[in-house]
Amino acid sequence: MKTKPISNALQKLYLVLIFVLLYAPIVTLIVLSFNKSKTRAKWGGFTTSWYASLFENTQIMNALYTTLIIALLSALIATLIGTAASIGIQSMNRRYRTFLMGVTNIPMLNADIVTGISLMLLFIAFRFTLGFTTILLAHITFNIPYVILSVMPKLKQTNKSTYEAAMDLGASPLYAFFKVLLPDIFPGVITGFFLSFTMSLDDFIITHFTKGPGVDTLSTKIYSEVRKGIKPEIYALSTIMFVTVLLLLFLVNLNPEENKTKKLTAAKVKSRKRSRIFFRRVVPAILFVVILTSGIFYATKAGANTENQVIVYNWGEYIDPEVLTIFEEETGISVIYEEYETNEIMYPKIQSGAIAYDVVCPSDYMIQRMLENDLLAEIDFDNIPNLANIDPTYLEQSRQFDPENKYSVPYCWGTVGILYNKTMVDETVDSWAILWDEKYKDSILMQDSVRDAFGITLKYLGYSLNSTDLDELTQAKEMLIAQKPLVQAYVVDQVRDKMIGNEAALGVIYSGEAIYTQQENPDLEYVIPKEGSNIWIDSWVIPKDAKHKENAEAFINFLCRADIALMNFEYITYSTPNKAARELIEDPEIRDSKIAFPTPDELVNCETFRFLGDKYDAIYNELWRELKSE
Amino acid sequence: MKNKSRISKQLLAFPYQLWAAAFIVIPLLMILYYGLINQEHEFTLENLARITTPETLKSLGLAILLSLVSTLICLVLAYPLAMILANSNLKQSGFVVLIFILPMWMNSLLRTIAWQNLLEKNGVINQLLEALHLPSLNIINTPSAIVLGMVYNFLPFMVLPIYTVLSKIDKDVITAARDLGANSIQTFARIILPLSTPGIISGITMVFVPALTTFVISDLLGGSKILLIGNVIEQEFKQGNNWNAGSGLSLVLMIFIVISMALIAKYDKEGEGNVF
Repeated sequence: MKTKPISNALQKLYLVLIFVLLYAPIVTLIVLSFNKSKTRAKWGGFTTSWYASLFENTQIMNALYTTLIIALLSALIATLIGTAASIGIQSMNRRYRTFLMGVTNIPMLNADIVTGISLMLLFIAFRFTLGFTTILLAHITFNIPYVILSVMPKLKQTNKSTYEAAMDLGASPLYAFFKVLLPDIFPGVITGFFLSFTMSLDDFIITHFTKGPGVDTLSTKIYSEVRKGIKPEIYALSTIMFVTVLLLLFLVNLNPEENKTKKLTAAKVKSRKRSRIFFRRVVPAILFVVILTSGIFYATKAGANTENQVIVYNWGEYIDPEVLTIFEEETGISVIYEEYETNEIMYPKIQSGAIAYDVVCPSDYMIQRMLENDLLAEIDFDNIPNLANIDPTYLEQSRQFDPENKYSVPYCWGTVGILYNKTMVDETVDSWAILWDEKYKDSILMQDSVRDAFGITLKYLGYSLNSTDLDELTQAKEMLIAQKPLVQAYVVDQVRDKMIGNEAALGVIYSGEAIYTQQENPDLEYVIPKEGSNIWIDSWVIPKDAKHKENAEAFINFLCRADIALMNFEYITYSTPNKAARELIEDPEIRDSKIAFPTPDELVNCETFRFLGDKYDAIYNELWRELKSE
Repeated sequence: MKNKSRISKQLLAFPYQLWAAAFIVIPLLMILYYGLINQEHEFTLENLARITTPETLKSLGLAILLSLVSTLICLVLAYPLAMILANSNLKQSGFVVLIFILPMWMNSLLRTIAWQNLLEKNGVINQLLEALHLPSLNIINTPSAIVLGMVYNFLPFMVLPIYTVLSKIDKDVITAARDLGANSIQTFARIILPLSTPGIISGITMVFVPALTTFVISDLLGGSKILLIGNVIEQEFKQGNNWNAGSGLSLVLMIFIVISMALIAKYDKEGEGNVF
């Protein structure tokens, strides 16, 4: 095919366009890694400080090394098993070969979510403890097909006779394999390994379902951080990884270009050969060793002290990480820390008993549900003298879900309200009605959770947010359907970033988030509508099958200490029930903030969610699905 | 002698057969089991029948529509791209393949979130358009944004198999066609296109199935306003806490996998269109 200049230019233009499409988000992420502002919604100036703080963040570094080690091990094992399998499959009869290749195609074609869930069901049924090993097994499983599918074509191209000739000439099968067959298929094996490594690195869904407490890969870490906004360190890390790989590729691919200049002296040939060996063998080998040793280093650091530990299961970004470090230093108990995004995700994990958590932080109605299903252990309050710091008002409130105050210790509380942008909303905001105002079409952010969305609608209609009356619920559903065209998006915690970035005028938000958003964008104001709202408490509880109950109590006691509660309040900005901590707050504006500590008359119409039973749970979910698919 | 080596070779596949049985076949049987019982452990077809409720059907229909559109866009974008690449001199050393795999080294969740930054009302693209005095682009939280996300995430899986088959086509065949008087359109329609069918089929299944079942892309770029079948299943497992219903719906989804496998078996017997 002759190429004309015009079509050549067009081709180049097309290539450039596709590359822009592929690499635009990557450039965005690289730019974000230099953003001084903590939220991705606005540009706060140039900084390189995230790169420095990255290496001090053991959580992220741990996740990085877990990711790399799992990628490396799973790719190695998959390559071994897969290559052997390919040779075997190749020599089978046609029918069985087709069958086996069909099975091999399943993990590649199956939806990741189905593969992940099926493996999780298997692990739970056979009482595997979910953790590092289960992730590794899962990754090997989805990696093997990539190896087989890369090796098989190479096998088909090889000449069978050479292998047999080698055998006829007296080579042992092993010798013939290494000297004849392997060199032929080696490029396929390498491709398979490389692909497996990449797939393992990038996987999220399957890891999400097969992982256990204390083990995080980068993907799962990122997913849990979507809740409160991704830490800029993650952008920095991704940039480093990307640039490293890019450089490596560049080096490896730089050399063949020289082939074109044919006038090479012997010395040049030699040096070229040497540099090729250097870039193709030495550099990857060095990287390999670095990854492995640092992995072992971090693993030993993390895995130390397995006996004296406490396994904590908390909301994402719901504690100051510094607090965990101080706790470990003071008590010698090592903390294994795991996060969840919603009560509903946490509940089945506790219920199935797949993982024995020691201390968990559910919300009010979920505590009631766990109590009703006999999942909680009584707390020994002799071990929690710091309970005295907690304002008795909140213990009294806790009786709604923990009637005898025997199972829970309040940690944070707050309300649900409307966050609005003063530059976009002129009128006074004091009612939920504004969320149904046509004026704000496409500028409203709703909560993406059944109970919150229905709760505020029921309140607006003048009903209880714990309504089980089908008429009331249907009315609420109709209201929400009418509202849907006005809604820009249903979000959970992205509401923060979007409001800070002036993406919307009105958003339904938890009071704790409101304080943070105001610090970032002073145009924002929070209000609890007059019809009333949800007032919630998140409390620490100890599951029945906790293995380290005393450590869990020590942990709860530690969190009730005034200085520690203050640290947490300043970090997560959710209202603390700890009155001793509140007295320690220096800034009077925050100490008496109406958002953090509303007065009782503002809360007069507010209610706490109650668990309504499985039947009504299902009805709420059904109505919610009807709304969502509308 | 020959037979013996054959059997010893077949033994090499033994570890994999065990592995496949334990981690591919048995887990699928577990899904089947969960899909066919209710929460009281009694046999039922209720979970499978859930697919016929209007909301679920709607989300399935929308998922099929969006993933078909994405697959088509991927094909239209990828085919010329693969042709350009296959004819270029970048061919050696798998450099092309690497360019497409390279973005995967940045986490796919992060890359999809980055699209939010680009597409938002006050996002990068709109600020650029505004600077150029062009009308703004408002596709965030719409099906268009989801399609964009799908195309972005799955395009490599369409490019690579087509590229592989195209670069395997013997140049002499094309030259022969031209010598025999075929013009470039005829050469393309009669020679290149039929020879690249295995790659196209493989690409279509590799894009269609993941696009059909995704829940992450629709969540992040659709503002959770648009419910796809993947979201429904994910919610059954994660929020509704009904593993049986989730398994039942997953079983229904597997029909599409069976169809894909049948397509591959029909058009790509030799596995030529393998991605890599």
